[in-house]
This record gives sequence, structure tokens and C-alpha cells, in this order.
Amino acid sequence: MRGSVAGLALWAVAVLLILGPLASFLVYGFFSVEANDIVYELTLANFADIAANSSYLTTFFRTLRLAFEVAATNLVLGYAVAYFIWLRSRLWQSILIVGLAIPLLMSYIIKIYAMRGILGTNGLLNRALIMLGVTDEPLTVLLFNLTAVRTTLVVVLLPFMVLPIFVALERISDTILSAAKDLGARESHIFFRVVLPLSLPGALVGAMFTFVLATGDFLAPELVGGIQGFTYGRLVFSQFGLAYNWPLGAAMSIILMIVALVVISVALRVGNPRYLK
Amino acid sequence: MPSQDTVRTDSDALSGTGQARAPLLQIRSLEVRFGSETALQPIDLDVLDGEFLTIVGPSGSGKTTLLRVIAGFQVPSAGRIEFEGHDILNTPINARPFNTVFQDYALFPHMTVRGNVSFGLKVRGVKRNQIEEDVDRVLEIVGLLQLGNRYPAQLSGGQQQRTALARAMICQPRLILLDEPLAALDATMRQQMQSFLKSVQRKSGITFLFVTHDQSEAITMSDRICVLNTGAIMQIGEPRQLYYRPANRFVASFFGDSNLIEPCRVTEHAGRFARISTPVGQFEVQCDIPDRTQGLVLTVRPEAFVAAGDDHSNIIDFEVVAVNFVGSETVTRLRHASLPDIITMKSKSASGARPPAVGSQIRVGFDKDQCSLVPAAEHGS
Repeated sequence: MRGSVAGLALWAVAVLLILGPLASFLVYGFFSVEANDIVYELTLANFADIAANSSYLTTFFRTLRLAFEVAATNLVLGYAVAYFIWLRSRLWQSILIVGLAIPLLMSYIIKIYAMRGILGTNGLLNRALIMLGVTDEPLTVLLFNLTAVRTTLVVVLLPFMVLPIFVALERISDTILSAAKDLGARESHIFFRVVLPLSLPGALVGAMFTFVLATGDFLAPELVGGIQGFTYGRLVFSQFGLAYNWPLGAAMSIILMIVALVVISVALRVGNPRYLK
Repeated sequence: MPSQDTVRTDSDALSGTGQARAPLLQIRSLEVRFGSETALQPIDLDVLDGEFLTIVGPSGSGKTTLLRVIAGFQVPSAGRIEFEGHDILNTPINARPFNTVFQDYALFPHMTVRGNVSFGLKVRGVKRNQIEEDVDRVLEIVGLLQLGNRYPAQLSGGQQQRTALARAMICQPRLILLDEPLAALDATMRQQMQSFLKSVQRKSGITFLFVTHDQSEAITMSDRICVLNTGAIMQIGEPRQLYYRPANRFVASFFGDSNLIEPCRVTEHAGRFARISTPVGQFEVQCDIPDRTQGLVLTVRPEAFVAAGDDHSNIIDFEVVAVNFVGSETVTRLRHASLPDIITMKSKSASGARPPAVGSQIRVGFDKDQCSLVPAAEHGS
């Protein structure tokens, strides 16, 4: 009895604090706007508008591609970093993982401003390039375009990639590696036949979460993207600000959420491979 | 005077089988220290070609350390290991002609049974046809041919164990090292796997070096047993030899229920015959007599005690503490005022027999050749 009451209470909290607000917001996607006033009548007009608007669609697919590139880059970089950390001693592992996790505790905006400082006209990167004689004048291609958005997202989201891969590597037991060695495997065999296949599910899950975070992000494109770095997240953001079209913004959010849910459900399947069932 | 309290490492340990086998491994003065701690005192051990050798000892006795050194996972502090006359300590793990069956099996979870078993051949670049053929052959031996496409998580403990064995066997190693492979199994499955492992070893002729803490497992499975305690070899020999002719107190108490009567001293002796004085009386014994007369332990197996008539030369009067009928045999617990420990007697049950009453006195005897005399000090020099 007590168990079920506690269970109900937890459900009530979840519904009230998470699902309720979410639903009350998403339902706006089925309303419409007339002369700056919201019309509270259910309609699918917003979705029809989105489907018919080629610039919306272009932005949507450009953003998916951007997120895919970020996730793929981070998969490779994150795997390399996680593998490097995994090979270190216990002490160094702790130090490096904590070092990696510290940025997660920092404000997101501060991190993006830091990237802006690095990529800007008088930024760290330009100064370094000038000092090294690679260029005479500061490069302007580093900031306020899609590449800047991509670079920023890669840097900011890297910890989200490294941590799940490191956890997956940590779960590989020492005796399995010993067994591989004992059976005559060289280091390359052990990596490609044992370590990589056993850690890849974790890595792919990390990549998918990175993808989801990158598709929905609007702050990084807003701050380092300039006019060229226009993404779907900014499009949604503008509906709630300048355009003052909450229903359209909510409808766009619903589409984004569906993408996220699909990717996460795929991630859950990938992260729980057949051999574990 | 025969010095039976020294450890037998010589080949006369095999005299009982009448087979002279060549040593496959010769371990000499092998020593392992972790900082100031000695895991393995300098030990000498021969592993003979084709034998089932068990390393047995309590936890912390150094048995797993010894196995890890042979496999190549642990570098010894000193000493040599020769494989057919060649030093192999500098040979990397993946180049030693040995394979290990790990305690937790260490199967690759992302590979099927066939994938696991074929691993050793794949990394050696064996041709695919040959691999399939070999995998079939080995799976047939371990009885897993039908389960080749299952993943380890879908197998029972015994099946995982067989997979691990097949995976080790397929590389055709000269030596298979088994690190407490039965520890995780339940009692019934363990017994099945004991006879299974033994039969596979006999059929394949591969030398097995088996590590266990379970003395009964060691006795039932092995051709020879090496008893380790606190990093030193206590005795090496055939199961019967360790059971009936223990070299010291540790071995005597480690195998089976043993009744230890101490302190004893020799009052008179000639060859294998001696008269001894013990806290419970004067006895005549006919066994290996240690080269000392003091500080000895008389050990008598529970099954060597019989309800005595006056014709026995060795007689002790006990008080009955408990009588347990366990089917084919009856276990009687006995107490003597001069002994700190309870003495155990095991006798065959008979349908008409009336067990002695608890609290009653009982006269028990043992034959002079049904006991052994060992030094009390457990040294492995």
C-alpha cells in the first residue's frame, strides 16, 4: 500500500513539474495567431505552413546536417580522448576526468563567450596565427559563420561524448583483455576485435545525445553564428521573440522534439546490444 | 634414516603410476614478492607432460600468483621457468604455448560461442575453412555443437565453462592453466564438470595445471597435487600419497577430516616401525618416520578408527559426544580428556548395528599401518 502511494506521489511530481509544463507549452503548436493575438482553436495550420516554407525546411535540414557533423567529429575526437584517458593510471584517470567535467559545471553562455574570444578578430587563435606567420592580418572567417558554430559546438559538447565512452571502456573487464592476450591476440587485435566492439555502443549513444543537443541549440549559433550561422534553434527562438508567433514556434519545437525522441529511442536500442539480452 | 619430512619434489612421487613422463615445465627457485610481502617463496616444481597437476592451497597461499607467472601475467622477482628446456620468462603472453581458463570464464560478451572459440585461431590468421572445421571439432568435444550461435549471456554457468575450455583448447596449447574454474558453479554442476574436465584432459592428452582451494576437488581430479601454503610448497605427490602419507601437519590436516594427536615423541624405532608416546597412550606405528623424535603429530584418518577388541595394539578410550547417521556411513564424534580437539570416527553403517549412546565410553583402535607421523612444524624447505 505504502509503496503504491509513494509511486503515485512520484508520478504526480513528474506530471506536475515536467510533463505538465511541457504539454501546456506544446499545445500552443496547435493554436494560431491573428493580429498578434493567439487564437485558442485547435488547428494543424502551423505544420502546413512549415512544410510549405522552403526556407524553414532548408534551415531545418542544414541544422540536422550541422548536428550530424558535430556528432561525427565528436565521436572520433571523444573516442580518442576517452581511450587516451582509459590507458592512464587510476590517478591520472581521475585527474583527467575531473578536468573534463569541470566545464560541465560552468555556465553555457560563458563557455560560448570564451569560444568567441578565441575565434574573434583579436582572439587567441588569430594572434597565434599572426605570431606564427601563417597570416598577416586577422582572419575573419573564423567567426560568425556555420564553421564557427560547428567548432564551438564540438568544443562545448566534447565532455558529453568522452564521458559515456570512458564509462563503456571502464566496463570492459581486465580478465577479458587478459583472455584476449592469452589467446594470442596482439594489441591491434585486442583493440579492433574486443575493445572497439565492446565500447562502440556506448560511443554511439554518446554521439546521438550530442546530435540531439546540437540540433536544439540556439545560443551558440546566436552568439558565434552571425548571419550565415542561422539554425533551426534560432528560428524557433525568433518565433518567441521578434516574430511573436508562439504557436508557430511551439509547432517547430514539436518537430524538433520528435527528431530528438526518434534519435534517443534509436540510441537506447544501439546502447543495449543484442548480445546482452 | 629416511627423511620423510622434507618436501618431495623428486620424480619418485610418480612411482605409483609406473609411468615416467618428461617434464614439460621446469620451475626453479621461482620467487614473487610484492614490495616487502612474499607471495611466493623460492619454489621448484616440475609439470610433467600430459599430467593433470593440481595446485591446491588456502586463499593467500600463492597458487593464483604461480599460475599468473606461468601464464605470463605476472613477472617473477627471481627464478626461472623452462618450457621443454627453454627459458620462457621473456616470452610474451601471446607467444607462450599455454592457454588459460579464467575463474570468471572471461568470455567475450559480444561474440557467440563460435566467435569466442574461434578467436584464438582468427588472431593467428588461420584460414576460414580450417577455423570452421576446428571449431566444430572442439565444440563436439565439449558438447556445445548445438549452442554455437548463442551469446555468453544466454548460457548457463556450466555451458560458459565449456565454452571457455573449448576456446583454450582450440589453440592446441601444450598446457592449459585453469584458475579455480569451478568456483562459481553450484555443487551438482561442479561434480559434473569435475569428471568432464578430467575426461577431456585424458582424451586430449593436454597437460592441465589446475588451481583450486578445494581439497576434495584436488583429490578426485588430479594425477598429482602440489600443496601450497603461505607461498611455499608443502608437498607434491599423488592424491593417495598426500592422503595417506602427508609430509607435515599442514598437509595432514588439509586433506579430508584428519584426527591430529599431539605432541608425540618416538621412544624406539627401527626402519618404518616405531613406538611412540602420545597424550592418549603408547602406540606402535608402521609408517614413514620423520628424522626427529620430538615435536611430532600422529594423524589417524576417521575411517581408520574401528570399535576395538583387545587384539588391537593401539587402543584409546573415548567418550561419545555425538553420533550422526549419514546413510552409508555413521560419523561418531569422540572426546578425550587429554586432547583439545574432538576426534572423528567414520564407520560403515550396517542395518543391524546399534550406535553407541551419547555420553557412553567407547574403546577405539587403529592398526599400526593406518596412521602417519609428521613433524608439527609446517616448513616447506
